[in-house]
Amino acid sequence: MNRVAPPFTTQAKVSGTDGTELPRRNFLRNFGLGLGSVAFGDLLLQDACAREQGRTPGPSKPALAKQVIFLFMQGGPSHLETFDPKPAMQKYDGQLLPESLRDYDLAQINTADAKIMAPIFPFKKHGESGLEVSSIFPQIARHADKLAVIRSCYHELFVHGSALTMMHSGTRLMAHPSVGSWVVYGLGSETDNLPAYIAMTDGIFRNGTTTFASGFLPAVYQGTYLRAEGVPIQNLQRPPGLDAPQQRLLLDQINHWNRRHRDAASGDSRLDARIANYELAFRMQSAAPELIDLSQETEATRKLYGLEHESSKPFGKMCLMARRMVERGVRYVHLVSNGWDAHSNCQENHLQGGNKVDQPIAGLLSDLQRRGLLDSTLLVWLGEFGRTPIVQGKNGRDHHPYGFSAWMAGGGIQGGRVFGATDDFGFHAVEDKVHVNDLHATMLSLLGLDHQQLTYLFEGRRHRLTDVGGDNDLSSRLTG
Amino acid sequence: MLTRPLLLLVIWVGLTTDLEPTVRADEAVPHWSFQKPVRPTVPAKKQLRHGERVQNPVDAFVLARLEQEGLAPAPLADPWILVRRAYFDLLGLPPSPEQVETFVNDSSPDAWGNLIDQLLESKHYGERWGRHWLDVARYADSAGFEGDAAYPNAWRYRDYIVSSFNDDKPYNMMVQEQIAGDEIWPDNLDLDPKRVYIPTDTQKQHLQARIGTGLFGFGPRVGESTLDARRLHYETLTDWVDTAGSVFLGLTLQCARCHDHKFDALTQEDYFAMQAIFTSSIEMDLPTITPIEIASWRDSYPAIVGAHEARLAYKVFQQRIGEDELSPEQKVEEKRLRDQIVERVMKLQDVNPSVPHTPFDPLMQVPKATVLGHERPELIKPVHLLERGELYLPRQKIHPALPAALARSTNRKSKVTGPYGSRKELALWLTQSGHPLTARVMVNRIWQWHFGQGLVATPNDFGKHGAPPTHPDLLDWLATEFVARNWSIKELHRLIMASNTYRATSRFSTAEHQQRDPENRYLWRFNRRRLEGEALWDAIHTTAGTINLAVGGRPVMPPLAEDEIAALRRKDRWPVSGDPDQHTRRGLYILVLRNFRFPMFDVFDAPVNSVSCPQRDVTTVTPQALFGLNSPSVYRQARQLACRVVRESAGGPEQWVQQLWKIALARPISAQETEETLRLLAVLSETQSVEQIQKTLGDSVESLAPASPQQAAALVKLCLAVYNLNEFSFIH
Repeated sequence: MNRVAPPFTTQAKVSGTDGTELPRRNFLRNFGLGLGSVAFGDLLLQDACAREQGRTPGPSKPALAKQVIFLFMQGGPSHLETFDPKPAMQKYDGQLLPESLRDYDLAQINTADAKIMAPIFPFKKHGESGLEVSSIFPQIARHADKLAVIRSCYHELFVHGSALTMMHSGTRLMAHPSVGSWVVYGLGSETDNLPAYIAMTDGIFRNGTTTFASGFLPAVYQGTYLRAEGVPIQNLQRPPGLDAPQQRLLLDQINHWNRRHRDAASGDSRLDARIANYELAFRMQSAAPELIDLSQETEATRKLYGLEHESSKPFGKMCLMARRMVERGVRYVHLVSNGWDAHSNCQENHLQGGNKVDQPIAGLLSDLQRRGLLDSTLLVWLGEFGRTPIVQGKNGRDHHPYGFSAWMAGGGIQGGRVFGATDDFGFHAVEDKVHVNDLHATMLSLLGLDHQQLTYLFEGRRHRLTDVGGDNDLSSRLTG
Repeated sequence: MLTRPLLLLVIWVGLTTDLEPTVRADEAVPHWSFQKPVRPTVPAKKQLRHGERVQNPVDAFVLARLEQEGLAPAPLADPWILVRRAYFDLLGLPPSPEQVETFVNDSSPDAWGNLIDQLLESKHYGERWGRHWLDVARYADSAGFEGDAAYPNAWRYRDYIVSSFNDDKPYNMMVQEQIAGDEIWPDNLDLDPKRVYIPTDTQKQHLQARIGTGLFGFGPRVGESTLDARRLHYETLTDWVDTAGSVFLGLTLQCARCHDHKFDALTQEDYFAMQAIFTSSIEMDLPTITPIEIASWRDSYPAIVGAHEARLAYKVFQQRIGEDELSPEQKVEEKRLRDQIVERVMKLQDVNPSVPHTPFDPLMQVPKATVLGHERPELIKPVHLLERGELYLPRQKIHPALPAALARSTNRKSKVTGPYGSRKELALWLTQSGHPLTARVMVNRIWQWHFGQGLVATPNDFGKHGAPPTHPDLLDWLATEFVARNWSIKELHRLIMASNTYRATSRFSTAEHQQRDPENRYLWRFNRRRLEGEALWDAIHTTAGTINLAVGGRPVMPPLAEDEIAALRRKDRWPVSGDPDQHTRRGLYILVLRNFRFPMFDVFDAPVNSVSCPQRDVTTVTPQALFGLNSPSVYRQARQLACRVVRESAGGPEQWVQQLWKIALARPISAQETEETLRLLAVLSETQSVEQIQKTLGDSVESLAPASPQQAAALVKLCLAVYNLNEFSFIH
């Protein structure tokens, strides 16, 4: 795949020790890093990595995917209404669960007395593979042969806060880095003028900024919250009264003084990093608005992402921006769709959910493919849990962590296949169980990272994204 | 293809081989940090090549180590550098031009010592060093996770810490108070069954001591765990024990929760025995006022009810009307109901939120502190050893005890009494003389906060897997000296700062030094350090002359820009402080939400606050530069700085830039810089449109006279540039 050079990339210049301007490559050579086209951001990452007792991670095996788009359906989409068909459940509709399933904790209802509610939407086989997808995703279904559906995801956390923490960081504890932070820590940055890890939402991040936080990893691995409208990144807009040429003037003077200060300071790489950083910030001021500016996209492309419909427009924009990020070398794109928490009227809720994300995600798959980006971009679709087979109130479903579905596509995944299964009631993952840690191990593996070797020393312990789990790494089966 | 990142090319170091356990719990010779520190002999001045540099034993140890490495010490820093270093180091604030002047012109031999004494007397010293401690204590005002429930009393612990540092409370007492203030001094208000009306001063003091146990009241907590009482209890005990272990013992006890500690002589049984020490304790909210004051609060109760009823009446009215158009009579009625609310709310007893210890808090609640107390005997949950740390795999019941190997090294049996009184025993054991860890861990922290790096580079891990001390003799000498000087932290500051090791310049290097010790582990020069987020905030507002130096009280919430608040899930979690004076309080006082960090601190490496943070990261990330260049709040402060510059210097541009350098960089401007600066000002003045000038100056046009609007706007921009200088953001 070709890395698209955004129109605003200029040969970045940094000063040499004598105060003269040198091309970037020389700058890197001065650091003993005389490599070809190393991205600038790496330098800053490198700086932070060096603190970790000289150990620097990097891919430890061949990578299939280079970049990730994490499609997170916040609230918990029902597996029974999306990717896990249970036609046999129709005959149990309105009955109690079997005795053996009546003693499990749920958030708001009781397994002992709530009745089974049969799946609401019909499933159909799609593509050559005949992969089954529910009727709420007619467009995604057209990509059935690209999707590897995992129907046996599970964990044991039945409330949003801790389940979200688990899905994002592999543990239920705070202070642990988000998957995206681990990935950037492991692989570094590929972009000269944008953050390596970008997060967007069409509503809120339920767990606040910890959703994309770097936890105990240095702040350089933190996700950047990008807004689709207005000023995309915090403090990106120049203060009123200061225009670009004047800011350039100030910046030149700041750099000049900072270089003189550095020269008097007798060797301190942090000071160089900070000087470089100001240039990166300057470039980001034009790169980030350019990123979210969709005016250059054709009408056909906009349609492909569903931008002409009010319901699919917000998430469609995010998906389109995700493609633009991938083109520009952003390593990890984290998109959050809100509103899947179907405690009441699961039917209406999921119809709306489908309307919001179906066309955008299908468009993203098509667009990545036609641009040759799909093979190197891993898409992961999931929520923090599924929903109960038993009814809440009249027609809702409660949170259900014991068995639920996710899918992956692109990034070397052989689609049109299903892994694992839940029991007859969609209650427990029973076949080929995939814990969150396994899911994360699989993602890392596809990126060429060994989940057991990607560690960070904190509080006296080498921490992993997968904690002590992750043994069921599906990557070879997903791609083979 | 995407370029393979640089990181790929760096040799991959196997991470597993060095993790094999090398010691067992029953080893014969204890790890160095498990042995009592023995006071070492101070190297003789005469035998040191640079003996003339020895001011006190600190230098002797450091020079001896440097000599071993074949390295010469850097020259001493000049007074301009030193005075700024001392102010930031002890107060976290920059010195004013007058303070710099006074020190630089003081040629007496006591000048440095006097400066240190004077700074240690400042009430702002406790704010600076208290903030360091709060990192270790994982301080926050909310619980984190989705709910991010508020901890409305956490700030009382913060104020307790600030005044403990200011009062130079002996460290052994600080430890005792934080672990067992309630059990060691039980005659505080809560535990006195007689509920005397007028408590004695000692009782009041003991109540304050008990606020130290607030340390255990603001840990991270999953709100939903309250669904499962056993899990909540277990998670709470885990937080308490891990925190106590990291903070006071400098050990990572948590590793022993799931298995015997691979590196240290700590067993799983030790771990759960520590949980057993805490299992009889619960958090409780304790009034911080006397019963007689509570009685007076009850007097005001009808006023509170009155305000509530007025609100209720208005709501009922609203419901009755619904969406309908109001009739003239109804409009009158509506106004009356609204006025009634205002009137009654305004009648509630007024308090000044910036004055701590006023009888009522602004919410008309009895002011309370969250502290530890005793669970009722019948409700105490027994502690079991849990297989792999899993709550639902309980094994044998465990009794309260100190870690066995450590107890052995202090010649003490490990079993402690229970269920009550076990925290007291833990606290007294930790602070007994000759304890191998307590003093070492604390002097190492103090050292690290002065030099940027500890003598032990892993301040929360003195175990086998932690870094060995670079200067073991110095560490032990300091630890024994600390105890000998009655655990006085201020004495430690005096000792460390009086040394020439501390007074060395950071601007020194030779190829040899760089090659032999690039990280300056042996302290041949002073470490240049970037200011932490809070210190940078304080420095910007102090130089701009806008800082509000009030001490203590509830957390404050400065206004956030729209793009800053965008990521906050529930906007009502950041109710902006009503009094604008509160918006420029010191960074220490800004609300610490676990779920949403104050945006500026977030980009400047705010500490992890869900577990103890012994040392902050210092990273260089783009949002820092964007903050410095574009943040509306920095631009506002640049304007205020320009006003101050013009106010404080008669004359024209040349005088302004001289004053600007003195205020912001604490040194005189050089001739070359003057020339460059004046040229920049000239170019900036000429290239601005009228509109840009207006936007830059806002309502400060008059304050900036006699500068012309053109000059003034250029000066504001110059001030912005100065805020972005590395020289401004670093301690040298």
